[in-house]
Amino acid sequence: MSNEVKTKEKINMDPKYIIKLTVTLFLTCVVVAGLLGLVNKITEPNITAANKAKTEAAMQQVVADPEGSTFSDALEITAEMTAAADAAGAKVTEAYEVQSGGAPAGYALKIVASGSQGSIEMMVGVDAEGVVTGVSVVKNSETAGIGSKVMNNEPTDAGVGVLSQFEGKSAADGTLTVGSNVDAISGATVSTKGVTTGVNAALAVAGVMG
Amino acid sequence: MNLKKQFMEGLLTQNPVLVQVLGMCSTMAITTSFFNGLGMGVAVLVILTLSNVIISLIRKIVPDKIRIAMFIVVIAGFVTMVDLFLQAFVPALAESLGVFIPLIVVNCIILGRAEAFSYKNGVAASFFDGVFQGFGYTVVLLIMCIIREFLGAGTFGAGLLGVDGKGIQILPSQFPAGMLTLPVGGFLTLACLIAAMQWALSKTKK
Repeated sequence: MSNEVKTKEKINMDPKYIIKLTVTLFLTCVVVAGLLGLVNKITEPNITAANKAKTEAAMQQVVADPEGSTFSDALEITAEMTAAADAAGAKVTEAYEVQSGGAPAGYALKIVASGSQGSIEMMVGVDAEGVVTGVSVVKNSETAGIGSKVMNNEPTDAGVGVLSQFEGKSAADGTLTVGSNVDAISGATVSTKGVTTGVNAALAVAGVMG
Repeated sequence: MNLKKQFMEGLLTQNPVLVQVLGMCSTMAITTSFFNGLGMGVAVLVILTLSNVIISLIRKIVPDKIRIAMFIVVIAGFVTMVDLFLQAFVPALAESLGVFIPLIVVNCIILGRAEAFSYKNGVAASFFDGVFQGFGYTVVLLIMCIIREFLGAGTFGAGLLGVDGKGIQILPSQFPAGMLTLPVGGFLTLACLIAAMQWALSKTKK
């Protein structure tokens, strides 16, 4: 491709030449970085607002009373919470306190668990009694048409949405396992297992939060 | 400058996907729904045009030895800008294309055109090269999206048309072969298209 570009430029270690190359490249980077800073300044408020709206919408989907609930700012993730999630095989990345009509009504937890194609980021609502109030997937890279069925809460053979089946489960049900107390979407067992791991982790984290 | 020739090259005789076989990775990965294909195609078109123009503008002052590094800096700058704008104003698309937008930086179509065309040609010609090559890329993506979405999910226009953007169901949902939306379906579809293209090109040559 580059045979027309002249390649016979002398390979010399002339300091002037090297400095010229360095300065040219440096200046280009400075200009580009400056422009990016400008673009970032324009887009940042929108991106922050979009992310916040997305998080709130995800939280509203997983609480018992979407209309009357308010959410705290992100809580600090303590070492205990991290340890509880790790023990269940997932990670907790964000935690919010849910208030319903002014009274504490549990937590909304953002959990990352591994699916079949990458990580599944989900929001899990747990009420004050430690019962799951809802599960919603925020971000995933599961296979379109197979794992995506799980992400979209399509019904299992039992006729209940694969994500909806977690509602009402609590730590009292023991560790949730696909095949015993959780139904998988056929063909998408790994994705279902990923979500199940996430819900187990959420219950464990809510347990240590009290 | 020959606009008609450049247009035919971008769309047919030098089509970036079917003839130059560049940028395969993203072509395979995102052509599963119409909306994705359109978004990716337009994003590449915009970035390719901008980077072509800038590289053509600076081609006289860029030292030969570090030209690739300079190209990459320029391309990466534009890609990041487009990524930020998409996240800010079209979050649905940014989410659905995910990591493939940042990966346009290493998409060979853009670096390929910089090296093969805009480094040696004037600004106007480079601008049209970007538009036409980007258009050729978009058209191929859309064809692949339509085929794979129709045979794989039985819908048309997913993400854009129909109820909840799920697309218009053409085939009843029990018929489609989900395999077509998997990577293997991408390879099969692309192979058929490349074969058809080569056949058509060899026909017209004779």
